[in-house]
Amino acid sequence: MPRDGTIPARGPRALDLLNFFVADVQTGFGPFVAVYLTAHKWTQVEIGFALTTGTIVALIAQIPAGALVDATTNKRAAASGALIGVIIAALLLALQPTQLPVIVAQILHAFASCVLTPAIAAISLHLVGYAALGERLGRNARFASIGNGLAAAVMGATGAWLSSRAVFFLTAALCVPALMTLGRIGRGPHSRRQTTTRSLDWPGIRTLLADRRLLIFGLCVALYHLSNAAMLPLAGAEVTMRAGSYANMIIAACILVPQGVVALLSPWVGRAATQIGRRPLMLLGWAALPLRGVLLAVLPDPWLLVAGQSISGISAAVFGVMLPLLAADITRGSSHFNLCMGLLGLALYAGAALSTTLGGWIADDAGLPWAFCALAAIGMVATATVWLIMPETRPTSA
Amino acid sequence: MPRRSELPRMGAARRGTVTAIVALLLIAAGDEPPSNVQRVPPEQALAILGHTVTDQEGKDIGRLVDVLVGDDGEPQAAVIDFGGFMGVGSRKIAVQWSTLHFAPANAKQPITLDLTQDQIKAAPEYKDPAKPASVVVAPTTPKQ
Repeated sequence: MPRDGTIPARGPRALDLLNFFVADVQTGFGPFVAVYLTAHKWTQVEIGFALTTGTIVALIAQIPAGALVDATTNKRAAASGALIGVIIAALLLALQPTQLPVIVAQILHAFASCVLTPAIAAISLHLVGYAALGERLGRNARFASIGNGLAAAVMGATGAWLSSRAVFFLTAALCVPALMTLGRIGRGPHSRRQTTTRSLDWPGIRTLLADRRLLIFGLCVALYHLSNAAMLPLAGAEVTMRAGSYANMIIAACILVPQGVVALLSPWVGRAATQIGRRPLMLLGWAALPLRGVLLAVLPDPWLLVAGQSISGISAAVFGVMLPLLAADITRGSSHFNLCMGLLGLALYAGAALSTTLGGWIADDAGLPWAFCALAAIGMVATATVWLIMPETRPTSA
Repeated sequence: MPRRSELPRMGAARRGTVTAIVALLLIAAGDEPPSNVQRVPPEQALAILGHTVTDQEGKDIGRLVDVLVGDDGEPQAAVIDFGGFMGVGSRKIAVQWSTLHFAPANAKQPITLDLTQDQIKAAPEYKDPAKPASVVVAPTTPKQ
């Protein structure tokens, strides 16, 4: 991290906290919506519709949201706007769990998330500059996973002991410290050229879309999530089938242990990516996918599944650092960092959405072990793609 | 069971409005309820959709999310969303209607299931309403 005295020391610390609180807020939104709506007498079909609406918006808003963040000069303002959108969405859910407000909340939250992810990456780039970005993204990932883990525990307890409605009030309340830390980060001393498009820049966009590195990395991202996304839900299904009354504890461990692994590993990943290059780390993170798939297929005891699942922490630590880092590598010298983040986000969501459908299908028709084997096979293909055709994107001079 | 299928689907706010309108109409009509309206207090009939289901020890095990009804209008089975943490590992399972016991007056645990988590854990998931459902039936031991 540059120590030239121009950066107020509170900037990096505030960015740590921002990642922590935003992760808290995102945890509140995901899994509690279905439980909450069920408790409010929504039918399964209505809940499915509301959740699918959110997913589709998150998918199609990636690119426009990225372009929008590129077009705004002040990324902290963009992130603030998104956080205010999340507050409105959380309050709508908490106060009016009826059809229209819930759909509006889902759309609002999906769009806000599409803005938040690239905006935070861009803020990081302004704060520490390109040279120190790897290390910074490692810290981002560490604090985000600590936030995720803690929020999962606290909100799970809130939902169980208070009510699922209280979870959404808590989510809205947690946006306030997120907004406050956002105000404390400061402008950041580094160039904003890479992240800011002044006017419509078609030649630049065409150059970006034709970049072979982006196409290949996009494929790697999509394959990663095609292999990854269904593993946890299927492992959860397996645990509930085999473990009986203590199943929930095992599932909680399957979620929380990998977060701990990410918190421990990601700063190292960030540093190593800067020192030895992106490719070796990508190979490590991507190759952990088939290993996990096979382990989940063969491990006999539900508690051992936690060990298998904790391998996902290695993949997640690598992925969390690599996605924004490679977006920065690829858009070096252009002004479309956030659009590139949006494109990669689209690849991520598309892979994840297909993964759960595909995984569910195979599990229904052929059984869980085969589903894990299929996901492991996709992980092999993903690893081979990284191994054989993914170029190193670290600039030789850096 | 009284037919109250519409009521549970309404949001709390709408139900509040309906109650208010009914109350106003009652006042306007001189406190005399119309002869074709029967008042059912919540201690006598429970809105079950989305309600938590407990086991016999009172431990929370899931939520009742759907009811399968035969051509005689009688419920055959209930679909219960069981378990999980943060949305992971929760499964929908159909249980035989007779394994459920209802006590609308008991505010703490109005719906009790006669099965333990271990008895239902291996049951196939209830997924597609268009396909035959695998319904968990009561153990063969005689009931009280």
